[in-house]
Amino acid sequence: MFGRIALSLVIGFSSLTWLAGQALPDRPEKLTYPPLVFQVPKAKDYSAKLKNNIPVYISDDDAIAPIVNLAIHWRGGKYMEPEGKEGLANIFGAQISQGGSLKMDIAKQEDRLEDLAANISSRCGDASGSISMRCMEKDFKEVFEMMIDSLAQPAFAQDRLDIAKRSAREEMEQLNDSVVSIAQYLIPQLMMGENHFMAKRPTTASIDSITREDLQAFHERVMHPSNFVVSISGNFNKKMVMDRLNATIGAMRPRKGSEPSPKPPAPDFARKPGIYIADKTNAPQSMIMWALPGMRRSDDDWYAATLMNFILGGGSFTSKLMKKIRSDEGLTYGIYSFLTEGAYWTGDVMGYSQTSNNTVAYLLRLAVAEMEALKNTPIPDAELQTVKDGMIESFPSRWGKMAAVNTFASEAIAGWPEDWWVNYREKIQAVTPADVQRMARRLLDMEKIILVVVGEADKIEAGDHDRPGLLKDVLPLPMQRLPLRDPNTGKPM
Amino acid sequence: MIRSLLLNFVVASILGFSPLDAQSLPVREHTLKNGMKVLLVERHDEPTIACGWVAKVGSVNERPGITGLAHIFEHMMFKGTKSIGTKDAARDMEINDMQDKIQAEIRAEMSLLREKQRRGEIKNMMDPSVRTPRLQELLDEFDKLVKEQRELIVKDELWKIYQTAGATNLNASTSSDRTFYIIQIPSNKLELWALMESDRLINPVFREFYSERSVILEERRQTLESRPDGLIDEAFDAMVWMASPYQWEVIGWPSDITHMTRESANEFFATYYAPNNITAILVGDFKSDAAIALMEKYFERIPANPKGVPEITTEEPRQPAQQRMIAKAETQPNINITFKTVPSVHKDAPALTALASILTGAPTSRFAGGAARPSGRLGKALVLEQKLATLTATYAYGRKYEGTFIVYATPVPDQSPDALEPVIFGEIQKIARDGVTDQELTRAKNAALMVFYMQQENNQGLRNTLAAAEAAGTYKDFLEIPNKLQAVTKEDVQRVAQEYLVEERSNVLLTTRPGAPSPSQPQEVN
Repeated sequence: MFGRIALSLVIGFSSLTWLAGQALPDRPEKLTYPPLVFQVPKAKDYSAKLKNNIPVYISDDDAIAPIVNLAIHWRGGKYMEPEGKEGLANIFGAQISQGGSLKMDIAKQEDRLEDLAANISSRCGDASGSISMRCMEKDFKEVFEMMIDSLAQPAFAQDRLDIAKRSAREEMEQLNDSVVSIAQYLIPQLMMGENHFMAKRPTTASIDSITREDLQAFHERVMHPSNFVVSISGNFNKKMVMDRLNATIGAMRPRKGSEPSPKPPAPDFARKPGIYIADKTNAPQSMIMWALPGMRRSDDDWYAATLMNFILGGGSFTSKLMKKIRSDEGLTYGIYSFLTEGAYWTGDVMGYSQTSNNTVAYLLRLAVAEMEALKNTPIPDAELQTVKDGMIESFPSRWGKMAAVNTFASEAIAGWPEDWWVNYREKIQAVTPADVQRMARRLLDMEKIILVVVGEADKIEAGDHDRPGLLKDVLPLPMQRLPLRDPNTGKPM
Repeated sequence: MIRSLLLNFVVASILGFSPLDAQSLPVREHTLKNGMKVLLVERHDEPTIACGWVAKVGSVNERPGITGLAHIFEHMMFKGTKSIGTKDAARDMEINDMQDKIQAEIRAEMSLLREKQRRGEIKNMMDPSVRTPRLQELLDEFDKLVKEQRELIVKDELWKIYQTAGATNLNASTSSDRTFYIIQIPSNKLELWALMESDRLINPVFREFYSERSVILEERRQTLESRPDGLIDEAFDAMVWMASPYQWEVIGWPSDITHMTRESANEFFATYYAPNNITAILVGDFKSDAAIALMEKYFERIPANPKGVPEITTEEPRQPAQQRMIAKAETQPNINITFKTVPSVHKDAPALTALASILTGAPTSRFAGGAARPSGRLGKALVLEQKLATLTATYAYGRKYEGTFIVYATPVPDQSPDALEPVIFGEIQKIARDGVTDQELTRAKNAALMVFYMQQENNQGLRNTLAAAEAAGTYKDFLEIPNKLQAVTKEDVQRVAQEYLVEERSNVLLTTRPGAPSPSQPQEVN
């Protein structure tokens, strides 16, 4: 049996103890709350295995409308693209469901889905992909059949592939349209090197060269039972759904000589810390992004790092960066930092903000000062406690029934341990101000920063009339202008 | 929005639907003594409550000179109250008063500069180098007051209190018709929400008002001006609407943002943020009787505004001729044909929704990470058969007072967007002439019903949907969607196509890249 979330709730408002006429409290500290006891759902209560060991995460609930959501996820993505075929994984990901199957052509399938108001969609990204369906319970068998046929025997209809290639080219042409899109392609090049798959981009030539045979070859590489994880939620007959799964992908055997998808390759690249500027004519605002070496989620210090990041720039309005730079100084609509989890190699501490071109230098000076302050002064215990309380108190909101199933499936694809979250709150509670300071010192080493600014370069470098200071004086690091890339060739312009 | 969702790495959950339809969605309605409406939907699956309240005010309630004012509240309402956000309420108020006085003097100096700008003697009155010595003196003086006040401010205390209590997704948003304040709280913290929200409705203090204008200017640059087609969208809306206040963007014109005053904000707040112009919505894990008792206890202390809010009486005149805009921008080339239609609660709105679906397919058929499924009459004609477009989309977009029907398409590379225009008008005219099929109508109804379910799929989504319905009319309009859809006939669809989707009601925007040949003049349409 698949258990439900074990949660015992003490629902309070104990018969209106605050009686009418009693004065209202003027401050929240004067309120008391009934306790809320919450236990983290355990993956094993939600998991099953198909006959060939494909894991299934499943949540059914009689209280939910007769609708089924099912997704089949796979390991494998952009990192498996052959040289010169950049863009293949993305197109493959969409064409799995948009190209029909050997049993039913796509026009017919689409007509049928429209009759049923059902949906089948698919995607493939950097490291993984998925095909998913949504339909009324009564239509499950028919829609599931179409989805499974698309996954197992895709037709990759030529006319649909042609449309996808036209769309990919059109998308490519937008590469330099905004400061955000420019920063987003420049920073991976500087973090991982241009030859790493995370930094590679499709070109006109690579898109033009993609054929049905390329899609078929990519499909063969992905179709290995060890690559798959299934997630299901909604209202359905569990036995019937498991039977259908077992009769289809549960009966799948590896083809002779085939291998599970390899792990995505780690970058092999020596970063050159520095301030990198790319000129975007007439940009009303600059985009700033930065990256510092971080850690993997499996690191013992992950919890302390999480808190340090929350205090610095992860905590929205309560973060130090937001308070200083948005709230006090009015320099930006938002400034954020975040940790990447490092599923396949060491993660990073990253951040971003947008501000007028002339205030970039001042904003960065303030941001660096906030980071230095975290390194130099331990955060007061009471302040840290409020941050920890918030993380612990908000923890249950991550674990709606459907969210739990999705979390388990995505964690399984990335390879994290099944019950990583079980003692999360205890680990957060154990972090001390000294730990946070230690993390600031470990992670906020300005000598290692890669800082990218995209906007009107001359204005960025010159700084602001009311707040003097040049960009080059923000950090003692080399400053360099980067050319934009030609959208069609990826070559410097 | 008070905060940007850009690059917030939120994993979209694949959620199911709740067992709800028009009959069984158990919305309980209660009205407080001061006229504030409360909607409650109990759902006990998860130990959280999606809370929110919607003030029926937006940019539609502005006029030239105060555009952007409705939106500034979603910033100011997070600055605290008399007891939250300051260490010394009395001194804090004094400083606010002094700031207002200096700002009045600054405005007088700015008037002089505005006059010089009008005469062409200076280029830009905001340029620091044209400031008069007196203006600089005033700005410095003001800066000192800001610094003094900063010492007293408990920075973003409201956020901190909520965050420490385990609340998530605290945010606010403003549209042309409504301003919406939302949060998700652990189910044992409902009293905290009632205290905090009623406090900021009855005792708000708009601290840091003047510096927040800079944040909003940056917000405007980020969310509108930096978008490759942002300024064109703004100009197009201004062209589409002749009289309606929908002609300006919610964020407002930069010169209005720069010159906004705390006095005008106070007046606007007193008019529109009274409880008789507000609906509160709770969806989640609570007991309705206890929740209503809490609402009465905290919210009934807020006095009603007996005058009510001024009615919007400006009607958009019938457009006498087609309007066209030819734009060059560094963005994906596209065509947008916007027809003027009817408000969201109008009896023709469901037929227009069905028509949109018949033209470009069900809203559920849009894929994440790929082009939309080429379906519907336009998808089939433009993408599959004639291979002129990569994507087509249609929106039947009813607002509170007016509505639009928007057809959007992107041409294939190297194809000018104007080539798509006769095909779009041609397909519309076929429907106006010959009507639609039973199968098309059934599909459109199924698709709309699916959307209706999707809007209830989680607590926060249902709360947002109920709020939007309240802002435009009543939540019952939402509950009646399935029945209204069921009643739509083929003749209705044909009639709305004939009535609204005609050339003289249309506004055409053709966008190409700089350097690409200009779209030609519109072709004759048969």
